[in-house]
Amino acid sequence: MEVTLGQVLALLGAAMAVFLPGIGSAKGVGMVGEAAAGVVTEDPSKFSQTLILQALPGTQGIYGLLTGFVVMQRIGILGGNLLPLTTYQGLLVFAACLPIAIVGLLSAIAQARAAAAGVGIVAKRPEELAKGITYAAMVETYAVLALLASILMLFGLKLA
Amino acid sequence: MAIVKMKKMYLFGLNKERDKILGVLQKLGAAEITDLREEDIDIDVTERQLPEQLGSELSELELKLSRLKFAIDFLKPYGKELNPLIHGRPKVSVKKLQDLLNRESEIFDLIDSLSALDQKLSRLKTEESRIKSQVELIKPWEQMDIPVEELGATGRVEVRAVAVPKKDFKSLRDKVVEKELPVEIIPVGEGREKSLLLTVYHISAKSDIQELFKEFAVDTEEFTGFRGTPAKIIAQLQERLKAIETERQKIKTEISRLANRLLDMEALYDYWLLEKQKKENFMKMAGTEKVFLMKAWVPEPSVGAVKEAITSVTSAAHMVFTEPSEEDDIPVVLSNPRLVQPFEVVTELYSLPNPRGIDPNVFMAPFYFVFFGMMVSDAVYGLVLSLLSGLALWKLKLKGMGKKLVELLFLGGISTFIWGMIFGSWLGDLIKVKPLWLNPLDNPLAVLFLSFAFGLIQIYTGIILSAYKNIRNGKIVDALLDQGLWLVLLTGLVMMAFPNLTRIAKYVTIAGAGGLVLTQGRSQKNILKKFISGLLSLYNVTGYLSDVLSYSRLLALGLATGVIATVINTMARMLAVNILGYIAMLLVLIGGHLFNVAVNALGAYVHSSRLQYIEFFGKFYEGGGKPFQPLRIETKYVDLEV
Repeated sequence: MEVTLGQVLALLGAAMAVFLPGIGSAKGVGMVGEAAAGVVTEDPSKFSQTLILQALPGTQGIYGLLTGFVVMQRIGILGGNLLPLTTYQGLLVFAACLPIAIVGLLSAIAQARAAAAGVGIVAKRPEELAKGITYAAMVETYAVLALLASILMLFGLKLA
Repeated sequence: MAIVKMKKMYLFGLNKERDKILGVLQKLGAAEITDLREEDIDIDVTERQLPEQLGSELSELELKLSRLKFAIDFLKPYGKELNPLIHGRPKVSVKKLQDLLNRESEIFDLIDSLSALDQKLSRLKTEESRIKSQVELIKPWEQMDIPVEELGATGRVEVRAVAVPKKDFKSLRDKVVEKELPVEIIPVGEGREKSLLLTVYHISAKSDIQELFKEFAVDTEEFTGFRGTPAKIIAQLQERLKAIETERQKIKTEISRLANRLLDMEALYDYWLLEKQKKENFMKMAGTEKVFLMKAWVPEPSVGAVKEAITSVTSAAHMVFTEPSEEDDIPVVLSNPRLVQPFEVVTELYSLPNPRGIDPNVFMAPFYFVFFGMMVSDAVYGLVLSLLSGLALWKLKLKGMGKKLVELLFLGGISTFIWGMIFGSWLGDLIKVKPLWLNPLDNPLAVLFLSFAFGLIQIYTGIILSAYKNIRNGKIVDALLDQGLWLVLLTGLVMMAFPNLTRIAKYVTIAGAGGLVLTQGRSQKNILKKFISGLLSLYNVTGYLSDVLSYSRLLALGLATGVIATVINTMARMLAVNILGYIAMLLVLIGGHLFNVAVNALGAYVHSSRLQYIEFFGKFYEGGGKPFQPLRIETKYVDLEV
């Protein structure tokens, strides 16, 4: 079977949707983990609270994987029958991947900063954890919106 | 269903009955005593004395508590206590407590002996580490078989034990041979970095030798304070170490023997803790030599109980209950139906309501319930969540906020189950069940519109609550012009979305918008400014728009759960090739889906909270309430039945 440029572009989009937010989440979760470890040295009982904050910037990576998976499903790579995509179709898929790929990467890092600051809240006033979570969740909104845009675009494309 | 009304209580009583009165109040746990000393009271209590003896009583209590605390912490590792999370806290009866109080001096003697044991243990520890470092030092010399007291000068000959850096040993020996010094060098062992030597030399060569020693940085070992050969010394030291260990074991058995008194001490600690909490409240009162005046907050439904409790112990107390005044900082207690109570934790984590505001929980609970489930939206996940949290509620003795959170999760699980059935998601696509409505993967737009509809309903609720607040405060005009006109405008905009309504929608929108332009600037003086602020107020439409769009996360997170579940299923199916593969498949399925439940439950909790905090509370809610903290029986270790 001949490989078309469209197929390459579509797969490239899927790959970007997975790896860019993945990098962002890895970096973000790491950043919050560093801040959390500092607090836990002082008071090990705060482990579970800081763990929640650490998990928050991890969702972008999941959203990215999810988008990548939807692409794989749509272009038929999962079933083993890769659709013969035209170059334009491939570009369409590629474009649909961009929102979550880019917003995922950057929002994970921005969210990690907010969450790491939230770890500071937990250090001094553990009862105010919810406020720290809310600050971080404010950032997540944009990742959710980007995910939604990417997925709606992918579901809307007619590829077969 | 709301914020409980508070009454302000002033109580006059006799000083000699103060303790008794506070005792019953503590038992009842329905009055928060507040500080009177900083308040201007128009009742004639001119002397606001703080009896000196009270201060010393309190510090005496502190001392008692700290001694008990020491003993409890000290004994804890030796005692076997049941986990209070599973078995609940131990109960201590009045009789037992009375008995303990009678034997109190004996218990404090016990604590003294415990602290003596503690000191002994730490002395042993210091000695042990000293001996260990000595052994370390002498160990390399073990081969030297002359008693250390024989080192030194003996008439014409000096015997010295020295250590020379290993690399210099050879050059030292060469130098000695070269200079033909009358020295005998006998290697006796090897340290980590040094060679250990026994040197025997004639006094006449002493200065030469010492120069050589300086040149090669040779240390002379003196063994001060020891006798016998190094091997013997080490044996003695080891013996002492053993003796220390036996002694320590002896002390530890003695401590473990005392560990069964742990409960006694905890009970006493809690008793004195309650006493201290009670006494601390004395500090907040005003009074004269014979009489005291106290101010407290009492929830309206408890007023009768408080009166009754106080009159049951004394007839010489006078109580006045008044309504709170404008500037009073009223503490907040919420009272909600049982089903709504778990949702209180969401509000509590944000901020308690302003005592003069609205308790949002009843209005928030249904939305939270629906949103949580919609974001996780898998029937099996819902069952798992409810089963796990139900198990925790049943088996663990949870209290306070932790209990509410688990209950919230339980209800969230039920909602998740319902949404899972609606969307036909049972472990993603693993179990194929026909959806009650539709699968969001087939028609995401329909679910998106449903999300927006939920958002609109919640935003309308928020605006209506805000209007209600205005009406309650007598600002009916504000309610009509601010909230009413916005409702008209928003309704018009929503109607535009329906093709057969567009014609009416236009008029409704124009009416709403026109009304807003004409009235929103009403606080301005200048007519031009009135118009401009009115026009600018229309800009708030964007705020409402972004609020509604924010509810798209209901769809997005629901999709995320479903798609991740599908990913897990797909990965698992790929593994199913042989028997090992089937086992791996099972592991991937269980691990993967558990992970998905955990991540999405966290996400659903976070995002449904956020929708309440930002989109809903932002419309009407005033926080900043201070929790009601009555004087009550609040113990640390045991449940006292006082």
